[in-house]
Amino acid sequence: MEPQSPDRSKLEELEQSIGCDWRGIRAARAATVLRRSQLDACFTRRGPSDTSLVVFGSVARAEVTSGSDLDWILLIDGQSFPEHKEQEREIKRKLLANEFIEPGASGVFGKMVGSHDLVHNIGGEDDLNSNSTRRVLLLLESYPIGTREAYDRVRRQVIRRYVEDDRGLTHASGDLRVPRFLLNDLTRYWRTVTVDFVYKQVADDDKKWALRNAKLRMSRKLIFAAGLARVFLCHLDPAANEARQALVERKEVSLLTEYLEQQLALTPLELLAKLCVDLAVSQQTSRKIFDSYDAFLSILDDPSKRAELAHARSHDDLRSSKAWGEVRAVSGPFHDGLVSLFLQEETALKDLTMRYGLF
Amino acid sequence: MRRIGFSTGALARGDFRSALQTLRSHGVKLVELSALRFDELEPLVKAVPSLDLEGFEFVSIHAPSRFAPEFELEIVDLLSPLAERGFPVIVHPDVIFDPSHWRVLGERLFIENMDKRKPIGRTVGELRAFFFDLPAARFCFDIGHARQVDPSMTEAALLLKAFRERLAEVHMSEVNTASRHDPISFNAISAFSSVLASIPEHIPIILEPLIDQGQSDVLTEIQRAMDVFAAVAA
Repeated sequence: MEPQSPDRSKLEELEQSIGCDWRGIRAARAATVLRRSQLDACFTRRGPSDTSLVVFGSVARAEVTSGSDLDWILLIDGQSFPEHKEQEREIKRKLLANEFIEPGASGVFGKMVGSHDLVHNIGGEDDLNSNSTRRVLLLLESYPIGTREAYDRVRRQVIRRYVEDDRGLTHASGDLRVPRFLLNDLTRYWRTVTVDFVYKQVADDDKKWALRNAKLRMSRKLIFAAGLARVFLCHLDPAANEARQALVERKEVSLLTEYLEQQLALTPLELLAKLCVDLAVSQQTSRKIFDSYDAFLSILDDPSKRAELAHARSHDDLRSSKAWGEVRAVSGPFHDGLVSLFLQEETALKDLTMRYGLF
Repeated sequence: MRRIGFSTGALARGDFRSALQTLRSHGVKLVELSALRFDELEPLVKAVPSLDLEGFEFVSIHAPSRFAPEFELEIVDLLSPLAERGFPVIVHPDVIFDPSHWRVLGERLFIENMDKRKPIGRTVGELRAFFFDLPAARFCFDIGHARQVDPSMTEAALLLKAFRERLAEVHMSEVNTASRHDPISFNAISAFSSVLASIPEHIPIILEPLIDQGQSDVLTEIQRAMDVFAAVAA
């Protein structure tokens, strides 16, 4: 995911057109550029084209704040070599030596991962929570450091599977072309994250409850909303006209695969801004979403507030936490803004959300 | 009816005479004379005027795939007379160091998409720059390379769409993980099938699977390729 250059950024266009000053978002984007260059500097040697170091989370979303950790995998797409283990160790050593904060203990990140499960196990009993999480995040918030060939290959294969295996796209008699297989998997991922939040609350004895809850209300919800938007854009976006035509006339999926790949290369905020600009969404809705998110990033970027959120776990902690109060004050309008964008604004998006969003 | 032939390099590395003899004995009408290694080019160029190419409907020349930039002009000078005689010249984009040198080949210059070992010339985006610099050049589509770069075959479809007007030759073989050209497997057939219908029937198909150690034989490979196209057409 690339932070857009100023001449191409819909986010900056939106900010200017409604007269806002989203300093938190701008600071996070600037911090992302710096963090990515630090990572590039750590991994200057060219790796084999069968492997890519892939990072997730705030570095991929262009939302780096002062306490951001670094989720990563060593993605392997090809023959198994003994050297892969050493490559994995070297990544760990370099990140530690350069004071990057390690991934959490879930076991989803911080290790080598082969491509086969990601590409082939979409659904079914072998599609474990860890596999579906990596796969969906590979689409929604990932970024390759250094050699990117394996990353590009695997990501495109995953996208292609969602498109090619979705018979509704190629065989439907009507005009609607919404990739439902992908939509359903993104929705499943979002619901899984919300359910797992409660699971971890019990399993981890409320550790980091407030920080995790804040991320759930904001950044996790953001990537789901942006995923949903990308799926609906396949039908709405004039730039996808040729791809839709190819589906209808020739049952050809390559152009839609390429279109989705391009949309997934945008950061979630950039994508939602594009939606707001292109659909002429009201200022009120846009401000609810972006003002709130801007304030959220500013909260996370304040080390004392972040620490307060990380330590708040009991009801008493939450009641006395000013930072938690601030999170609640922005997460409500953010939620309302998304509801308004998808379900209340009189745009074509509303019809699609009504039609596909729930059932 | 598809027009399918063979590369001499796949049959007998460096020994184009014996490869031509084999192809002629099997009634093959299309051939690519391979000079993939630098030191194979000069002997090939010198031999072409005296080679018996009677009976071949299509003959192309594959330029060396690796040489230092200081030899670029020398290579172009060797190839130019062949292009002037009408032979298409297949070139890998990573040896086009200075495009202006290659303009002399005009529409006889066929630029081939690369496998994943090469850092350039693999995708539509990477090839566009070469065709911008060499507007008369044509496109040699290597389907095995395209599949190795993107197994989903999306890039293959995009290459054929982007360079449809330039498409002049197709290379076909299975490119394995070590980037060696193998006979086409069942899996490769399945992958190739998704884009073969986009290749016009008159385009020459040159097979490149290495069969110099008896891995397969000319007629089996040509029949296999015929069957793939027939299945797609049906």
